[in-house]
Amino acid sequence: MKPENKDQIYQQFEAIRRQAEERRDAARRDPSPTILIGTATCGIASGALDTKLAFEQAILEQGLDARVRTVGCIGHCYAEPVVIIDYPQSGFPPIFYHEVTAGKARMLVKHFLEGGDPLFEHVYGAMVENDMIPSVMEFSRFNQEKRVVMEKCGHIDPEDIYDYIAHGGYAALAKALTLDPETIIDEIKTCGLRGRGGAGFPTGRKWELAADSPEGDKIIVCNADEGDPGAYMDRTILESNPHQVLEGMAICALAVGAHKAIVYVRSEYPLAVKIVSGAIAQAKTLGLLGSGILNSAFNLEIEVFQGSGAFVCGEETGLIQSIEGFRGMPRSRPPYPAQEGLYGQPTVINNVKTLASVPPIIANGAAWYRTIGTENSPGTAVFSVVGDVVHAGLVEIPMGVTLRTLIFDICGGIANQKKFKAVQIGGPSGGCLPETFLDTPIDFDSLTTAGAMMGSGGMVVMDEDSCMVDVARYFLDFTQKESCGKCTFCRIGTRHLLDILQRITTGEGRTGDLEQLEQLSEDIKDGSLCGLGKTAPNPVLTSLKYFRDEYEAHINEKRCPGMMCRPLMTYYIDLDKCARGCDACVGCCPTEAVFTTSTRKKGIDQDLCVKCGECMVACPPQYDAVRKVSPPGLAPVIERPVKNPDASKKASDNS
Amino acid sequence: MMVTIEVNGRQLTVKQNLSVLQACLENDIYIPNLCFMEDMPHPPASCRLCFVEVAGMQRPVTSCTVKVAPAMVVKTDTPAVRRLQRSGLRFLLSVHHVDCQNCPANKNCELQRLARFLKIGLKPKHLENHLQDIAIVENHAYLTYYPNRCVLCAKCIHACRMSHGHSLISFVGRGFNTSLSFAGICDFEQTACNTCRSCADICPVGALVLKTACER
Amino acid sequence: MTLNPNLQPLQLFAMDVDPFAKDEIFISGLPDYLKQFDRQRGQLIPILQKVQQELTYLPAEALQAVADYLEIPVAEVYGVATFYNQFRFNPPGKHQIKVCLGTACHVKGGDIILENFERKLGIKEGETTEDREFSIERVACVGCCALAPVVLVGEDVQGHMAPSKVEGLFVRIQVEKEMAQRKKKRHETGE
Repeated sequence: MKPENKDQIYQQFEAIRRQAEERRDAARRDPSPTILIGTATCGIASGALDTKLAFEQAILEQGLDARVRTVGCIGHCYAEPVVIIDYPQSGFPPIFYHEVTAGKARMLVKHFLEGGDPLFEHVYGAMVENDMIPSVMEFSRFNQEKRVVMEKCGHIDPEDIYDYIAHGGYAALAKALTLDPETIIDEIKTCGLRGRGGAGFPTGRKWELAADSPEGDKIIVCNADEGDPGAYMDRTILESNPHQVLEGMAICALAVGAHKAIVYVRSEYPLAVKIVSGAIAQAKTLGLLGSGILNSAFNLEIEVFQGSGAFVCGEETGLIQSIEGFRGMPRSRPPYPAQEGLYGQPTVINNVKTLASVPPIIANGAAWYRTIGTENSPGTAVFSVVGDVVHAGLVEIPMGVTLRTLIFDICGGIANQKKFKAVQIGGPSGGCLPETFLDTPIDFDSLTTAGAMMGSGGMVVMDEDSCMVDVARYFLDFTQKESCGKCTFCRIGTRHLLDILQRITTGEGRTGDLEQLEQLSEDIKDGSLCGLGKTAPNPVLTSLKYFRDEYEAHINEKRCPGMMCRPLMTYYIDLDKCARGCDACVGCCPTEAVFTTSTRKKGIDQDLCVKCGECMVACPPQYDAVRKVSPPGLAPVIERPVKNPDASKKASDNS
Repeated sequence: MMVTIEVNGRQLTVKQNLSVLQACLENDIYIPNLCFMEDMPHPPASCRLCFVEVAGMQRPVTSCTVKVAPAMVVKTDTPAVRRLQRSGLRFLLSVHHVDCQNCPANKNCELQRLARFLKIGLKPKHLENHLQDIAIVENHAYLTYYPNRCVLCAKCIHACRMSHGHSLISFVGRGFNTSLSFAGICDFEQTACNTCRSCADICPVGALVLKTACER
Repeated sequence: MTLNPNLQPLQLFAMDVDPFAKDEIFISGLPDYLKQFDRQRGQLIPILQKVQQELTYLPAEALQAVADYLEIPVAEVYGVATFYNQFRFNPPGKHQIKVCLGTACHVKGGDIILENFERKLGIKEGETTEDREFSIERVACVGCCALAPVVLVGEDVQGHMAPSKVEGLFVRIQVEKEMAQRKKKRHETGE
């Protein structure tokens, strides 16, 4: 590349950056308080829009001068709706508030913005070190994370490109434009970045494969078809910082020589679709996408394609079929998409997190990236840790951190003083690991050795009350429904697996079932065409390996140790504990199965009971009279009084 | 260009661009298969029966998707290959309405042939029979479609496309509930269906059957 | 036109008389509406998405129009539409209830929530009540796992659902409906 062109690129970018910084500085000079509200999907689901409205109304009513800004998700979903108030004049640092309901919002406006009292009892922590309020960095949920992909999530306004640029955004693209494509690919290869979509294929190799393919209309696809039920990292990243992904795509396109790119987002994520589309338009206006990017000769058009809801389209070849307008049925590889993909052109398909890792790598260099994580899995991993943990949400950790640290230190351990039982990693393709594996470091190879899989990053933590057979059945039910139906092993094999698991969880398991499960699983693993089928038996195989006793209890004793399988358990009321005259459980029963015994205590009509467990929740803790047992035969029989109490009462009244 | 490969100890000299399956079939080495067709640009590889072992590859591979290469060593009847083929065929039979007496494909059925070749029974012992809850399709003027006989090999779709430029038959549904559909044919006299028999002719199992004059 | 009888939903709708004249007008205008899209196979899914967005479902006539526009057999359009979870072939209820059955929601009892809705409305998942007020669907994951179990009523996400909250939800919908009616009445009489 000619040096004068290099200068032009830098000049052009500097101009944009100066603009962005001026806007930021102008905002900083403004002494009025700023209120940042996290309004990604999960925030909205927790009522963030009501919170926002309450702030705006209260500010208006009090006649204050304050700005309410929306940002993406900071990842602390347990604390939603999350609000950060930056009020320099108050003398306090920016403060992080959690679970800010509309009422709390009004209180904050009144006391903090008007009165200068930050309401210490509601403060979660300060965003920076100071000597007044403990900083959030003192919490392990914050300080043990290492944010590369999600660094800016929750701090910038996803709908304002200048905010991203003022935080250092698009500098990596400007730098990349002055480099040779080979240098970029070398950098990605040396940094050791591996695909974050699940399989962990070296990203640099994939790019090189596409770059080496003969000329053609090469295409970059950002795979945001996040189908794993229980994972939402990709959505959050797109909703909170779309530009980092777009920047990564542009760098990738530059490296492999593509001029067209597609963001493949599930249509179930309407907010992500809207934000990404807006981000593309903004980047085009500033000349960061489109033709002649930053005065260079590089052109790139990015489009958004909405996936229509088929898990199998997360598979590269299935995804290609669906963009082309066909049924998303995978085909056999090779040829790999990087050689022959969309419309027969070399196509690089990378996950959202992979692409979002690219700008920091280009900006800071491969050596810096290698300082994070492990030798074979450099960098960070983003997990959505959900289930029975205290601090559920998105966590970005350096690779190599153990499961124990992640679950017990960072995420606060198991909720409700229960015991840890298992952690499911990798969704329908992954597996359940028991307590003995808690010291496994989180990286591609260790997890695969343990029998789980990195997958896309869904992690569901389960306490002692969960049933591993039921979890395996759940995942098989999912893969069976999501199988495309093309190949014999996946289409029919998963159906047989599911059938057996269904029998076991309803108490109709037979001897020999476990051996058959293993046999079928091995066949499906070896015989299936695509990754979906090949990994579909993993939940069964790992749970059989680590929780075989639970399967045996289901089959031999018709007992569900986790008391989750409803045909194998029942609720009853302990008459010694039940309080006379208390009606708490009666009102909540959806089927009127709770009746009053002759001693004015309560019993459950097993014929009517649907085992929803509401009575157990409703029973006041001081009585704690509702019990679960498995197998159902262990429950004492409490007969419903034959006489209709109303009728007898009437009769006595009459006499 | 010709290449020489070794199959089951025999040296075969074949054209370079052939798949292992083609090379073997051309040389009278039978490899079980259901969905393979000569003129398809990309083999669907959906029936998962044509497994072979290729020296240097970890596990059995489908021979329709592997191209021959010089000095390739192939084995078509190892225990691992047979295990996969048998379980694949058992899977197919476990969702097949086995009622050979009343099936026009009886004695001319690919599933019967495969079962004989792989030495397994037509009613797999350990697998329950799962039939789709779906009626026989009779709305086509010339054809009857029996979903629970169909093996979803897609040969009919390909044959129809070859004869008419586009296919009047399509897969509908997904996963276990996939079946064929003739949706949207308004006027059977105007389509080529009254003269063309290519889909019924190519069906390996009697799932697409021509209607007799009186049935029509 | 002749329809494949092995596909219940479409046939079911074909027998129905469309209650909304608006839909009929849209369908009759479809050939013109489709002109905004490129005549390319790759546009098939975006077109179906757009049409469903307008009509809330894909009636047979719409599939036919799309096939005609793209010059591909209806069977193909049908095959693609039935492959993806997003597309539906009969109209949903006014209030669409989507019960999330993602992993986190399952572990926290999402199926019990689903059963409660089914029992309350007397329909199964995938069905619509006779008055077309409610329909129930199960969805794989709406990505609000930290709030599990989750239910979507229309676009509203209800986190931390419990069987006992189901009743409350319907009461709220009823109250909102009555309020809207009263408002409308007041508005009408006011004028």
